[in-house]
Amino acid sequence: MAHTPAEPRRLSRPTQGRMLAGVCRGLATHLGVEVLYVRIAFVLLTIASGAGIAAYLFLWAMTPVEEAPETIDPAKPQPATPKTASQNAIPRGGMLLAIGALITVAGAIVLLQGTGTDVRAGLLLPALLVAIGAIVAWAQLDATQRARWAGVTGWGGFGLARLGLGLVVVVLGLLAFVTRGQSLAQVWDVALATVSILIGAALICLPFAVRLWGDFRREQEARVHEATRADIAAHLHDGVLQTLALIQRSADDPAAVIGLARKQERELRAWLYGSTDDPSETLAAAVTAAAAEVEELHGVPIDVVVTGDRPLDDGGRTLVRALREALLNAVRHGSPPVSAYVEIGPRAVEAFVRDHGAGFDVSAVPSDRLGVKESIMGRMTRHGGTAEVRRRDPGTEVILTMPHDERAKDAGESRIPEPVVVPESVPDRGEKAV
Amino acid sequence: MSVRVVVVDDHHIFRTGVRTELLEAAPGLIEFVGEAANVEDAIAVIRKTEPDVVLLDVHLPGGTGKGGVDIIHGCPGVETAAGTPVRFLALSVSDSAEDVIAVIRAGARGYVTKTISAVDLASAIKRVADGDAVFSPRLAGFVLDAFGVASGEIAEVDEELDRLSAREREVMRLIARGYQYKEVAKELFISVKTVETHVSSVLRKLQLSSRHELTAWAMGRRLI
Repeated sequence: MAHTPAEPRRLSRPTQGRMLAGVCRGLATHLGVEVLYVRIAFVLLTIASGAGIAAYLFLWAMTPVEEAPETIDPAKPQPATPKTASQNAIPRGGMLLAIGALITVAGAIVLLQGTGTDVRAGLLLPALLVAIGAIVAWAQLDATQRARWAGVTGWGGFGLARLGLGLVVVVLGLLAFVTRGQSLAQVWDVALATVSILIGAALICLPFAVRLWGDFRREQEARVHEATRADIAAHLHDGVLQTLALIQRSADDPAAVIGLARKQERELRAWLYGSTDDPSETLAAAVTAAAAEVEELHGVPIDVVVTGDRPLDDGGRTLVRALREALLNAVRHGSPPVSAYVEIGPRAVEAFVRDHGAGFDVSAVPSDRLGVKESIMGRMTRHGGTAEVRRRDPGTEVILTMPHDERAKDAGESRIPEPVVVPESVPDRGEKAV
Repeated sequence: MSVRVVVVDDHHIFRTGVRTELLEAAPGLIEFVGEAANVEDAIAVIRKTEPDVVLLDVHLPGGTGKGGVDIIHGCPGVETAAGTPVRFLALSVSDSAEDVIAVIRAGARGYVTKTISAVDLASAIKRVADGDAVFSPRLAGFVLDAFGVASGEIAEVDEELDRLSAREREVMRLIARGYQYKEVAKELFISVKTVETHVSSVLRKLQLSSRHELTAWAMGRRLI
């Protein structure tokens, strides 16, 4: 999303190329100056009066994290930070560095105090403690927000622990701040009083918090519900309403109406109950897609039942092509109901296409008609399968069998099908003898 | 003697359509004794009229929201005047395995889709009234899939509940291929009565089996 002149530029913290929380980087991008100058300014401000830290924390709290790395101004190429590890909003190293720096400052203060210089450590140390706690807790807030974008909701145990740790550190800092210069017993009394006040406050606030949380959850659920409803409405609008309009317009053409209705039914069924498998990847999906195609071409409904499934390989593709040919014959020459049953077993795939027409005699088909002989029988036998046409009363049944190619697993799928001498009589199938 | 039938469907047009078509297709065979559009009405009508067969839609308003399953559960032990239990034939537009398995396991004697022809529906009703089971090709496919037949599981003894016997598998396969019962009988060199026995036995297994894959499989087939 490029910045258009009309759109006001908003200050945000990038997730890449940051040292701490991306405040300086964001500010630099926003103001259009080198990030180094901004950082130097912050450091100077910090040394001068501590205002740098305050400003940094304020900006950190108030500036949203940039939603996607792409929105970084392309005019300002980032210093190379392609490492995915640095995608974390607060790099672990940076975090450690910050804590280390704070501790060093604390140590320096103690040292200075020891040499007699009054740096008012009683005030500074608790303030530092509060700052550390705040950093730890706020960093967690950042992480949660990020997780929400990534689709991960809820707080992990680690996140909660981090938040708890931050709170404890802040409370300790505040305690130290309030009770400085008092004896240990007094500190204990104050701590006890504080804790009891906190517990009391928590008890009073609890019902409100629970209700607030409940409201929040309800609102979220309602939003999800609304999104689902909008999704369904969009689907109905795109599919069903369009088809209904088409049906009304072609009301005087029964064939077109039936075709439209059947197509819409298939789509709706696929949407409601169907699998999302890709027809180019699994055999069951490929079979279903082929049947749907034939149905659409000729407007004759085909009942397809598939059991089992496996990835689509060469043999499977051949079977699907032969099956499609058989279905085409059934809808062209037979009469409905036309049904197809495909059983994908552990060793072979068997497919049955049945129609209820007058039936025909395979041996009586003129030799120049290649439909059955070439597209179905020849195709199947070339790939190691069998095809059989049986006359039923009424109708015809085409039976296709394709053993799974075990060799394909070892040799990849590039095996060239060996030409097999096409036998006129198809081998008898064991099933008959049951 | 005609078969006394109650039609349960929440669409008035469908109830009227089924009635008209069946009376045309099989005059004298079927007598409509009642109809209902929701779970509560259906249970009341079935208890009052004690029909031979209930044509049952799977999705209906009322009850605990489980539609046809609620109705079957709401009529335990209801018998006709002749002393045979009231039998249920599910008639639905739903293709979802979950719906099919749920209503069969609740006690329906068969499952056919609403696209079935009037003549076939009439013979299905007759069959259910006689205490036999009615399997559409799709239901047979579901059964073969759910019992792991496709992966080659076959029962050693017929009584085993969690698998199909070799013969039951053959019958199911032929039904899935679109064969009528008499065609199945001819193909396997057995009587139609034997085919009916096998189908009833498969239905019993489908209803009683504790095969865990059955439910898991049906759930897995559900989308969105």
